[in-house]
Amino acid sequence: MARLEIQNLVKRYGDFHAVRDVSLSIADGEFLVLLGPSGCGKTTTLRMVAGFIEPTAGHVLLGGQDVTQLPPWKRNAGMVFQSYALFPHLTVAQNVAFGLEMRKIPRADIGKRVEEVLALVRLDGYGGRLPRQLSGGQQQRVALARALAIRPDVLLLDEPLSNLDAKLRQEVRVEIRELQRQLGLTTVMVTHDQEEALTMADRLVVMSEGEVRQVGSQRDLYERPANRFVAGFVGRSTFLDGTIGTPGHFRTSGGLELKCTGDKTGPAVLSLRPERVEIGLVPLEGLDNRLSGTVEFVSYLGSLIDIHVRLSPADRLVVQIANREGGFSPDVGQPVHVGWPLSAGQVFTT
Amino acid sequence: MSATAVATGPVVEKRRGEGLTATALLAPATIFVAICLLAPLAYLFRYSLNDFVATKKMMVEAVTIANYVKFFTDPYYTAILGTTVRIAVMVTAACLVLGFPLAYVMARTQSRFKNVLIILTVLPLFVGNAVRSAGWMVIFGNKGFFNASLQGLGLIEKPIEIMYTEKAVIIGIIAVNLPFMVLTLQSVIESIDRAVEEAAFSLGAPPLTMFRRVLWPLAMPGILAGTILCFILAMNAYATPFLLGGPLFKMMAPLVYNQFTQQANWPFGGAIAFILMSVTLGLTLIANLIFQRKAAR
Repeated sequence: MARLEIQNLVKRYGDFHAVRDVSLSIADGEFLVLLGPSGCGKTTTLRMVAGFIEPTAGHVLLGGQDVTQLPPWKRNAGMVFQSYALFPHLTVAQNVAFGLEMRKIPRADIGKRVEEVLALVRLDGYGGRLPRQLSGGQQQRVALARALAIRPDVLLLDEPLSNLDAKLRQEVRVEIRELQRQLGLTTVMVTHDQEEALTMADRLVVMSEGEVRQVGSQRDLYERPANRFVAGFVGRSTFLDGTIGTPGHFRTSGGLELKCTGDKTGPAVLSLRPERVEIGLVPLEGLDNRLSGTVEFVSYLGSLIDIHVRLSPADRLVVQIANREGGFSPDVGQPVHVGWPLSAGQVFTT
Repeated sequence: MSATAVATGPVVEKRRGEGLTATALLAPATIFVAICLLAPLAYLFRYSLNDFVATKKMMVEAVTIANYVKFFTDPYYTAILGTTVRIAVMVTAACLVLGFPLAYVMARTQSRFKNVLIILTVLPLFVGNAVRSAGWMVIFGNKGFFNASLQGLGLIEKPIEIMYTEKAVIIGIIAVNLPFMVLTLQSVIESIDRAVEEAAFSLGAPPLTMFRRVLWPLAMPGILAGTILCFILAMNAYATPFLLGGPLFKMMAPLVYNQFTQQANWPFGGAIAFILMSVTLGLTLIANLIFQRKAAR
């Protein structure tokens, strides 16, 4: 395992910037997740690390060695593909042995290593089967075993769970994460699924339009999003458009006067997490911002309830409450009171 | 349909009317093949067992293998069969070597001109065999475009003899067969997940190793289909050897035609036709077995 360094990586296709100036440093044994909507450049970045795409500019350093000019077969990066990309004409054992044969490892050692790795992914005894005789989850584990067998300097996962059904996905997440910790694998995973990203990563990188929007822990991204994009992409937020005339005073486009943090002025958005807003039938005490409105829409999610509250003709807020026994249960059209402490709101100038 | 309904083994649920629909769908093609292909073949086979009285140029009803014996005992005819097989093998090998890279590029290209590429590949087939061969005659004749250009440039003194040689025939058949090979390979390569190639690369396989260990075995069904198609077409080539090979160059298909039309010897013509068909089928089956055994390993 080794440290991975991405320096000022750029990929241009004609006028289109797939990746603009991405720099990241991944520590030995760290699990880094690149998160973003499709087309944000995360996969392109991963493929440049793997060596499938030649960067327009910038460098990739693996264990201190500059591998930017090396073809993929000289990089020692283990890759798990979204489609698994197992060799359909080879057995499970032959698939796993492929990379070892390329490294000219003696036959006897290959057999031993293949067995070890298959045991690691709990597929001992499956060596003689063909990929098509396995379930999706098993195929995924073979793909992982094949990448691990070569003892890669870095493990690259390209949306490895997106072809599994929801329940299996949750299990495999934990499995991959435990394996990664146990083996101390430097890992980069690409995903568009934020739940997957949040549960697996040591550190996350949020990307959009080829740029890194924020790097940080789960808590950093959720509690202190650096910009409106991150606030909207990681978790959920209600955005109220408006302006800040004097610092601390936010006026929504619907004319509501609200208190906010920060010392910026000018056009801005106020971002609120739905579960940080309180709601009740009587005016709420002890909150910095207190408003009244009417319930416009309710979606019942089981353990949670989303309530959409109309505050003014131009302003609507989503409040999320826990579905407790005897708790608040709103009806559409009902007048309600909402409120939140100053710290719950986050202001981004636009 | 009641006979098919009483099925043993695993019960396959049948949609209502499926049996009837299948019959209706299969019938036209089956009838066509039976009338237009099997019946003439049966007749031809019967003819090939008849006697021929050369002096009267007349077929006499009989059951004899004399025509087959005549073919295999006369070195003139066995040499023609040898030439035909040799040319077909060479053409097929050349088509595979030339066609694979082209098919690969066409299968993998992201270009929006992909359809244009496919049309360009098929374009030679828009021109009939005879017309194309006439074109070749113009280019490769002793005073043709090719030799005239080289002579004009002072590269050669005497014209290179291409027309009415084996070279011309081989070039000509390759040109006809290449599109079939390319299209067959292309569709199979297209069905191979690109990520499989990348997986091989990331595991440490350089391009040639990747090709040998991954792409080639996975493309094998296409290679087999393309090779068989190309081989059969080459074995049975008629217009190209006839027009480009000249009067002294002989291949099987023109020989069959010659027996029927010039010699009016239907029994012998029929026998040659059946020999050509059997040899083609036999070699195809052998090649198939060898390839499959290799693939199974």
